[in-house]
Order: sequence, then structure tokens, then C-alpha cells
Amino acid sequence: MINDKDSQKIVDFIQNFARKQSLFVMAYGTGCGAIEIPATMTSRYDAERFGIRGAATPRQADVLLITGYLATKTLKRVIRVYEQMQEPKYVIGFGSCTINGGMYFDSYNTINALEQYIPVDVYINGCMPRPESVISGFVKLQELIQQGKADNGKKYRENLEWYRANQKKIIKNWKMPDYNW
Amino acid sequence: MTELIKEQHLLDTITNTFKLKGRVIRDRRVEVFADKELVSSILLFAKNQQGFIHLAHMTCIDWIDENKFELIYTIWSPVEKIHLFVKTKIDRENPEMENIDSIWDQANTYEREMREMFGIQFPGLIGEQDFVLEDWDEMPPMRKDFDTAKYASETYFQRPGREDAKDVRETISERSGTKVPDFAKKYSREK
Amino acid sequence: MEDLGLKIFGAILTTILGFVVGMTYGGIVRKLTARVQNRYGPPFYQNFLDLLKLQFKKTNIAHGFMGHMAPVWIIIAAVTVLMFIPILNGHLWFPNLSFHGDLIFLLYMMVFGSLGMALGAGQTGNPNSAIGVTRGLSQMVGYEIPFVLSLVALMIQYKTTSVQDLTQIQHETGVWLAVANPFAFLAALMASLGMFRYSPFDIVGAPAELASGPVSEFGGKYLGTMMSGGAIFSFIKLTLYVHLFLGGAGNPEKTGIIAILIGLGILLIKTFILYMVPVFYGWINPRYRTEQAIRYFWGWPTALGIIGVLWAVY
Repeated sequence: MINDKDSQKIVDFIQNFARKQSLFVMAYGTGCGAIEIPATMTSRYDAERFGIRGAATPRQADVLLITGYLATKTLKRVIRVYEQMQEPKYVIGFGSCTINGGMYFDSYNTINALEQYIPVDVYINGCMPRPESVISGFVKLQELIQQGKADNGKKYRENLEWYRANQKKIIKNWKMPDYNW
Repeated sequence: MTELIKEQHLLDTITNTFKLKGRVIRDRRVEVFADKELVSSILLFAKNQQGFIHLAHMTCIDWIDENKFELIYTIWSPVEKIHLFVKTKIDRENPEMENIDSIWDQANTYEREMREMFGIQFPGLIGEQDFVLEDWDEMPPMRKDFDTAKYASETYFQRPGREDAKDVRETISERSGTKVPDFAKKYSREK
Repeated sequence: MEDLGLKIFGAILTTILGFVVGMTYGGIVRKLTARVQNRYGPPFYQNFLDLLKLQFKKTNIAHGFMGHMAPVWIIIAAVTVLMFIPILNGHLWFPNLSFHGDLIFLLYMMVFGSLGMALGAGQTGNPNSAIGVTRGLSQMVGYEIPFVLSLVALMIQYKTTSVQDLTQIQHETGVWLAVANPFAFLAALMASLGMFRYSPFDIVGAPAELASGPVSEFGGKYLGTMMSGGAIFSFIKLTLYVHLFLGGAGNPEKTGIIAILIGLGILLIKTFILYMVPVFYGWINPRYRTEQAIRYFWGWPTALGIIGVLWAVY
């Protein structure tokens, strides 16, 4: 006789396995990192063998891949895209610029640490990271999903006020619709 | 200077017409220095009489020691194959410059950029106040008295650096137990 | 009463078969495309994983009534049409509700899914969806004409509008209709290029241009349901073609379990070969614009269809 806890475990395992094996990526191609995406997806490195596949709209996407520096103006769009995505959703910060600002650390209009504005699951460092590092970042994300540790959509929902305060600190003119996700 | 006949001729024509100073930089590069009021006349003269039909670029330099902005208009003649630089200096306090987008339409873009980045006013300029920046209410950011590092550290979250302050390869080798490659030893910050 | 039970059993079996075969073919095509592009490619069961994941996703958006109904509509249309398609020729397990005149009925019903999609996409209010729907319907106008012409040719030639009868004729005479009326077959084959929406006729859902077109506002369970519906629809089209032109599958005189398996095997082989036609054509052709696609369909395919009708009349 299977008790509830065990059956929940089995369901979780199947659920996480399916989520891990099928990642639809919304590649937000800012900065120079966008050029690494074609190399990752095409024949030499072929990310599709891991079930990684491009998604054209945020509604269908699971992963938001941010490939470089984010100007304050771009951050606004990124937040909109992130909030339109459906849970479970993951964010991969790509390159030094998303980690600490990279070479734009003292620029007047690029943000320095992405996780202060939206929750980030995995950072890939490098300037630029090569396709190998990108794929290893995705594999790391898959491990996190399989262990059930990647639920940042929930984290964002619960700490929404903190994130909103940070976002509104730099986006002064907040003209965005409220989503009821 | 026998090769630079056409450059010298052009320089003479413009300087004699407007009583200006100027020089030939090298072949196909001529610059003239003008007062702010004369610039549009020079540009019109060059366009209509000398065949400089293309505005290649407009830019601004902040000479904070002289308390001046220098505006540079780069125009190009496809017939003579010469770049002509018309340079003028304007006051840094309440900077204002004549709008030339009636001569060349593309000047509008450059002028809007200068208005945003340096705060130079162009009377009669069409277009939104925001050009590249969004909701910017500080000092125009390309001015030299704007401290961009200070602004960035106040506005954005700075991530603290590593405490050991070593070369990154040494940190990696310590953590992973591998040796530092030979070529990287010269970058070591330990004395 | 026993008969009814068998029919229900057969209907469920048919639905599962159509779903599994359609999804697997899609996965195989992804793998083959990857191999052609010198990639390793995803496993052939990748589509099932995608579907499973999409069903596990949460959905917190609403686009109104038709937005909710569109995927349901598509899958209802797919299963309904599947019930009218003979899977194996005259077998009791795959009974299909076929009747005299079902060919005409199928012509109408096969548009039903696209119509549901169009209505749902219209309600989402996304401009990309609207453009995608417009292009999809225009393209449908393009390929429906040669398709209908080729079917009309068959109807005239054999004086019947029943799929079952046409299959039976092929079974009795031993001559495939693809041979008996080659022009109609060619016209239908060229029309099938547009039906499967592989390149070069994939402008409806062009990802970089239209953000995947009509489905751009649908994610999660909605997209998953649409994917299942699409898979069943591709199986429907392939099976219909096999039964109309390629001699069908199965033998009405033998009803043992071995005969069923052999029949299914033949069906799978024939449908797979037929499925490779649009896929192969897509590998070597870039994307057509809408007007180019329509010009393509209204050119040679339509001419061949008219010749097919004339062939049937005289």
C-alpha cells in the first residue's frame, strides 16, 4: 500500500524529470551575449539534445536567459517579460555583466546585480562564456530542477514588495500593467 | 605640399569668404574654426557652393577647463572627396546652439542626442525630450562634472569583491587544488 | 450490445493510436532534421516530455471564453474526424462511423480545427496571432483547391463519396488509386505539403517573425492540448491519404490478431513514407511568403487537379 507521501514523491519525481528534460528558452538577447546563443543551439554544440529549445513568446517559455548587460530601460522590459512567463520559471544570468556589472560596473545606466531585481537561479560567469559554459549552466539548472530547488517564481511572488521597491528605485516612471499571476 | 592643392584651395575659399582661421590636417581632411553665429552660414555655403552635400557626423566635446563645449560638424563632399570639419566653441553655462535640421534632416538625431547627453539646447528642435535615456532627471550624463562612478555606486547595488584580492587564477587554484599555470604567474598580485 | 462495447473499445484504441503515432512521428522528424543539420538531436520521445512538462505548467492568465475553448475545440475536432477515418479496412475494432458521403463530411470537418484556433487566437488580442491567423487561412484557401479537386476526381471516377468504398475498390481490383488516377494523386500530394506546415509553408507560425503566430498567447496546458490535437490531425491526414490513394491497410476477410498487427504495420510504413514527403521538401526549401505559397498552390497543383478531374470524366 502506497501512502500519500510516497505517491507525492513519485509524482514530484516525474514532474521534475519532465520539467528538466524540456526547457523552452526565451533568450533575451541584450549585449554581446546574444551571439553565443546561435553557436550553442546549432550543430557544433547542439543544445537541443538536452531538450533545450527556443521559445518565441514568454507565455510558452520556462527559462529566461539574459545574455549581458541590462540598461535601466532594458530592465523594464525584462521585468515585463519575466512577469508574463508562467510558473515554474527560471532565470539564467549570463556573463559578468549580470553578476557584477562587468566592464560597465560604473556606468550611469546599467544595473550591476541582476538578482536584486528578479530572482536568478544560475549565473554563468565569463566575458563572454563559451557555449560549453552555457551548456554546463543549463545542466546545473537541470540538477536544481531535479532536486526541486528551483522555485524562484514562488520566491518572487512572496517577496514581491521587496523586488518592486528595488525595481522602482531605478525605474522612476512606472507605467506598467499589474499582472494577476 | 603639392599634393594638397585641392584641400588648400578649399580652405582658402572658405577662410577668405568668412574671414576665419583653419588648417589642412592631411590629405582629404580640412578643418575651420568659426564663431557660433557663423556656423549655419558656413554649412549652407559649403553645401550649396562647394558640393558638401552630406552631413557625416555631429559631435560635442566638453572642455571643462576652458568652460566651453566644442561642437564639431563633419561634412563630406563626394566630388572633392574631402571631409570638412567645422568647429565652434560655445559657453558651458546655458549652452544654446542654432538648430540646423532644416539643412540636413539627419541633424535632428544628433541634436537630440546632444540635448540629452550634454544639455545643449537647440531652439525649434522637434522630438521628444527623451532620446536614449528614460526618465532621466539628473545632470546630463556625458558632462565631465557628472561623477558616473559615484552615481552608479549610489543607485545600483554593488557586489562586494573577493576579500583576498588575489589574481583570480590563484583563487581558483586554491579552491580546486590545481597548480597555477606558468604563464599566469606574472599576473600575481602577491609581492 | 456487444457490438457497441467493441465499438467504444475500438474508438478509444483509435484515439490512443492516433495520438501516439502522431507524437512519435513528430519526434522522429525532429531527430531526423537534427541529423540532416549535422546535430545529434533530441531523443525521439522528446515530444512526449514536452507535452508532459506543458501539462505540469501552471496557467494564471485568462483571455476570455474562446481563449479557453480553442484547444478543447481543436482536440474535439481531431477526435471527431478520427472517428470517421477507417484505420484498418473494414475491421470491427476500428469501426469508424463511416457512412455514404463521409468524404464530403471530412472535407468540412478537417477545417474545423483551424477554425477553432482562429477564433481562440482572435480573442487573445495579440497582433501576432491575428496576422498568423490571416496567413494561415489564406494558405488554407491555397491548398484546399487542389485537394478538393483531387477528391472530386476520385468521386467522379468511382461514383462514390465513401472512403470505405474507395479502399474496398482498391482492395478488390488490386490497383492503387495513385496509379489509377496519377494526376489527382500528385495534386493531393502537393496540397499535403501545405497541410503539414513544414517549411517552406511554415509562415503561419514563423517564430522569429510572428512570435509563433496564432499560439503566441497560449502556453502550458493550452499549448499542450493544441500539440496533441495537431499530432492527431497529422495522423488523420496521413491515414486518409493512405486509404484514398495508397491501397489502404488491412484485409477485411481476415480478422485475427496477427492480421491486425500486419495491417497496422503496413499502415505505419505507408504513413511514414508519406509523411517524409513534406519533411524532405521542407529540408531543402526556405520559407515562402503567403502570396508565394498561394501562387504555388494555384499553379501546378491546381492544374494537375483539373487534369485529374478531366481524366476521371473521360
